[in-house]
Amino acid sequence: MVLICVWPAPDWSMSRPTPCPVYTLRGAGAPLNTLHFSCSRGDTPLLFSGSAKGAVHVWNLNSRRAERVLEGHGGNSVIWVSTLQTGDTLISQGRDMRVCLWDLTEGRSEALDSVWTGSVGFCQCSVLEMSPSSYLLAFAGLQTEETKIIEMPSKNPVCTLTPDTKLGMVMCLQLWKPDSGLGPLLFAGYEDGSLLLWDVTQRSELSRVKAHPEPVMCLTFDPGRLRGVSGSCEKQLSSWMLDDQNHIQLQDYVTLVNPGVSQLRIRGDGRLLASAGWDHRVRVFGWKKLRPLAVLQYHTDMVLSVAFSDHQDPRQRLLAAGSKDQRVSLWSIYNQSANTC
Amino acid sequence: MESISSEVRLKVAQCFRTLSSSSADHTDVFDALETLNSYLDDGAESSSCTAAEREEFRRTHYSRTLRVLVGQLQADWTHSLSAAQRSQLWDPLFLKGPPDQALLVLLEAVTQPSAGLDRLVSVTERFLQGGRLADLLWSFCLGSVPSDSAQLRETLLARLAALPDLTANRLHPNNRPLFTPQRFYPLLASEMLAALERTSVLMSSTDGVDCSLTFVAQTLGKVCLQGHSGPVLAVMAPRLAVCTRSDMVWQRVSWKLLQDVPERCMESVLTGLLQAADSPDAFSRIAGNLVLTNKKAEFVLTHKVLLLQYKYEVRLLLEPPVVNVSERCGVLPAVCSVCLQVLRSVSQAWANPSAVKHTPQEQQLYVSKALLLAASLLTDAELQELRSDLLQCLLGGMQSHLDSSAVGIRTLGLVVGECLSARMDLSGTKLKFEVRRLVRSLLSFQSILRFKCNNLVSGGSSDDDLPPYDMSGDVEASRAAPPRYLRDCLEGTARFSSFCSVLSISVQMTKVLLHMEDRFSVSGFLVLRQAAMVALTAVDSVPVTQYLTTEFYSLNYSLRQRLDILEVLALAAQELSKPAADKVTAAASGLTPYQSNSAAGWRQEVEKRIQNKTKRISKGSGQPRAGAAPNRYAPVAGYFFFPLLRNYDKPEVTFDLLGSDHLVLGRLIHTLGLFMHLAVNAPIAAQMGAALLDFVWAVRYHADPTVRRGVLFAVCSVFLSMPSQALMMDLSQQLLETRTWLADVAEADPDADCRNLAVQSLVLLDQNLKKQLQNPNGLSLEP
Repeated sequence: MVLICVWPAPDWSMSRPTPCPVYTLRGAGAPLNTLHFSCSRGDTPLLFSGSAKGAVHVWNLNSRRAERVLEGHGGNSVIWVSTLQTGDTLISQGRDMRVCLWDLTEGRSEALDSVWTGSVGFCQCSVLEMSPSSYLLAFAGLQTEETKIIEMPSKNPVCTLTPDTKLGMVMCLQLWKPDSGLGPLLFAGYEDGSLLLWDVTQRSELSRVKAHPEPVMCLTFDPGRLRGVSGSCEKQLSSWMLDDQNHIQLQDYVTLVNPGVSQLRIRGDGRLLASAGWDHRVRVFGWKKLRPLAVLQYHTDMVLSVAFSDHQDPRQRLLAAGSKDQRVSLWSIYNQSANTC
Repeated sequence: MESISSEVRLKVAQCFRTLSSSSADHTDVFDALETLNSYLDDGAESSSCTAAEREEFRRTHYSRTLRVLVGQLQADWTHSLSAAQRSQLWDPLFLKGPPDQALLVLLEAVTQPSAGLDRLVSVTERFLQGGRLADLLWSFCLGSVPSDSAQLRETLLARLAALPDLTANRLHPNNRPLFTPQRFYPLLASEMLAALERTSVLMSSTDGVDCSLTFVAQTLGKVCLQGHSGPVLAVMAPRLAVCTRSDMVWQRVSWKLLQDVPERCMESVLTGLLQAADSPDAFSRIAGNLVLTNKKAEFVLTHKVLLLQYKYEVRLLLEPPVVNVSERCGVLPAVCSVCLQVLRSVSQAWANPSAVKHTPQEQQLYVSKALLLAASLLTDAELQELRSDLLQCLLGGMQSHLDSSAVGIRTLGLVVGECLSARMDLSGTKLKFEVRRLVRSLLSFQSILRFKCNNLVSGGSSDDDLPPYDMSGDVEASRAAPPRYLRDCLEGTARFSSFCSVLSISVQMTKVLLHMEDRFSVSGFLVLRQAAMVALTAVDSVPVTQYLTTEFYSLNYSLRQRLDILEVLALAAQELSKPAADKVTAAASGLTPYQSNSAAGWRQEVEKRIQNKTKRISKGSGQPRAGAAPNRYAPVAGYFFFPLLRNYDKPEVTFDLLGSDHLVLGRLIHTLGLFMHLAVNAPIAAQMGAALLDFVWAVRYHADPTVRRGVLFAVCSVFLSMPSQALMMDLSQQLLETRTWLADVAEADPDADCRNLAVQSLVLLDQNLKKQLQNPNGLSLEP
């Protein structure tokens, strides 16, 4: 203790102790599989979380309390929640093989509609808004390797994508629309570690690469830089790039200290990448060079999901992590603009 | 040439005459002033004189002209000048000519008592405001000063550096704000920067131009030496840092400037720069490889501020040379040697036992930081070179730090030792101390620096503006399961709910507890473990005591564990010998207040009223008499006692009770004495007493006082607890011998406790004897 007293306060700009959560949200009462922020619209910033007991909590980030709890999956685990940019529509996907649509306008919380997916796996849906009134929803289908895409809210099937070789189950999906004017494309990670890029309008496979020896647990793609990263149950994150011919090119690997990643997310401004680790930690990387920046330790069990908030004021941005230990931790990290150092 | 000079001289002399003759008509004077001004006008419009004439005037007559003007301050014509005329005719003479001569004349005039001081001061002010200082410095840079001599320079430097003092002395309360040090020195600094700027522009635009920074460097040195390095460098250092970031010419200018600083001023310039530079890179960019080229600078940077003072940021000091190393190690091996030299001397300073004793703690922290920093910045190959030195430093330094009585210094030694050993990678062996939490800051300090250093070597990355957090906590997750608590274990047994299940696992649990180590830093671990073992022993005495007493003599236990066994047994025996009924009644009485609402409440109420109405002549004891309860210890005392006596004389490899492990022996005998004491009135006490006396007889003259104390305690407890009849029968043979031994000890033992215990034993023995003698049947029992 004496030493601490004598030591002059370290004033290096570089020296920064490990950060602590700004606050935590408890009371979900079950592991939190998925998180989704909605902070740019309305006056109340909201965080949606899906729990393993089938509840979607709507957390008010001002009062830091759960405003509402939506139960629409009959107690089956909720594995994905999202909102649409337009209108107060919430989409939740449960392991009861259903995707539910919720109307949240003016404090309502009623299930509008639901889509039966037939998927028994853990693959999270992906949504892509095509126009203010319609959007595409991609989800794993009834058959093992099948991915289905439907147009919402009309529920018209767009296509069913099935690879021509055995790749195992679909593990993760991401729909996106390139600036080049091509139709929507879809990244899909499979159980054998393959990563495929599908052209949704042509219903054809554009590129295929074996990114991991183990199942692809999660992937995320940055349409701005045409770069993506995927995680698996091993120690490596694999980053890849899309070239002019829409071929996936593997780039470098990032080695983690402990194996297993549940989810990867890139911050809206394309500067940070966060990973939810099975080792109870959230890792933050610089997205440009995948340089490790911080290791966030708070949870006492696997971290299942991470999410960056979409606050309009960059200083308010938050990083949320949901864990099997039934808590959500919120972190404020790298929120100052570039002139901080 | 001759003609020009004589012509100019003539003209100037005529002007002087006009100026000094105080005629009523001032037009002559104005003409003369205009003529003089024309010599200074560089513009083409003044065709009255040629360039050569102007040159001649500047070189030879300018200074004198100014003196004449100053001398005529009181003349009529001077007073009659209107403001416009003054600024057109009078002031330009001071502001347009060679600035060095002008400044000299002005300052000379200001310091000497003269009339018209006001005029002079305002001209000086205009001189400073007009950027003439930059012109002055620049003229020296170009070497275009007409009359440059060492003496002139010295005078000029002295005047320039001391301008605020000169003016303050002369003007007192009327001093102008511009002349105050707070404004003048920053102004001077920016003028110096302007001169440097011109130099760099000149150097980058044309080749082969000679440009000397000596005068600027001298000015800088002089000002710093006089203690004004703070304001001056606060202006200059940031600007230089920015300019040298990408511009090679500026870097050369900056390095040259510092190289040209006179040796006696070097220290003050460098220390000022250290305080003004905001980052090591900046310092390194500004100073260049000054450490190599300048002996004085090397001494100041690598020795004086590093080892003798401790107010600077270590990072600033050490990083520049080391960064230089990593950048151009191949080119300049000399830098390497400087750097290694630094590390060597720092390590010696750290390890110096006299320094550890006599220097203040802050200084030691500073040196430690420097050492860690240097070690973390060097590459592995360089470190290899220094290995033996560092190792020696580590060993000696650790020793002297650990010998210190101050906690801070000891901790410092531990931390530095740990870090250094980790850095040096001593063939896999690392020192490891449990000080991490205390000195997190120091460790993170090092890791950050290492990171930074790597980053510098690798050329930086585009995520650079995102400074990383401390990631030292990111270690591989242990494969071991998280700690389980005995609470969980108890819950488990409670779920299968039966008392029998506890009994069936008691030995296993004792075994686990006995071998358990405090790996998870549970608070109060030792107490909890002991309490658990005592409880197990008390609940399920026979198997657990059997287990414990066997284990006491078996192989592969530490002394600590053996002592634990004894302690647990002793506590369990105490627990058992306490009347169990006591506890139950206590618990019941404690509960009564909370039951007032229950159905039985009315009965108590009635009882109380009856008590109140009843008159009693005398009150018996209000308390219920202590209920009789069976002594739970008496039946099992033998299990506690006899197995421990069994194997004491069989030495094991790891456990020699009669040899070196006398601590355990003393404890054992004491515990046995305790068992004896608790077994009072038990049927088995007679046999126990006899066995115990037998046992202790062999070790009664043990060399260790704790053993002797234990022996005497055991004897006391035997005398107390053994039935006197049995005692007399047993002792009859050696009664006298025992008495003599006890008397001997009571008199001569070196240990006071032993003497007291012996006296007590004697008293007890005598009491026993007396009782036995008074008992008429006593002697008849004797065979």
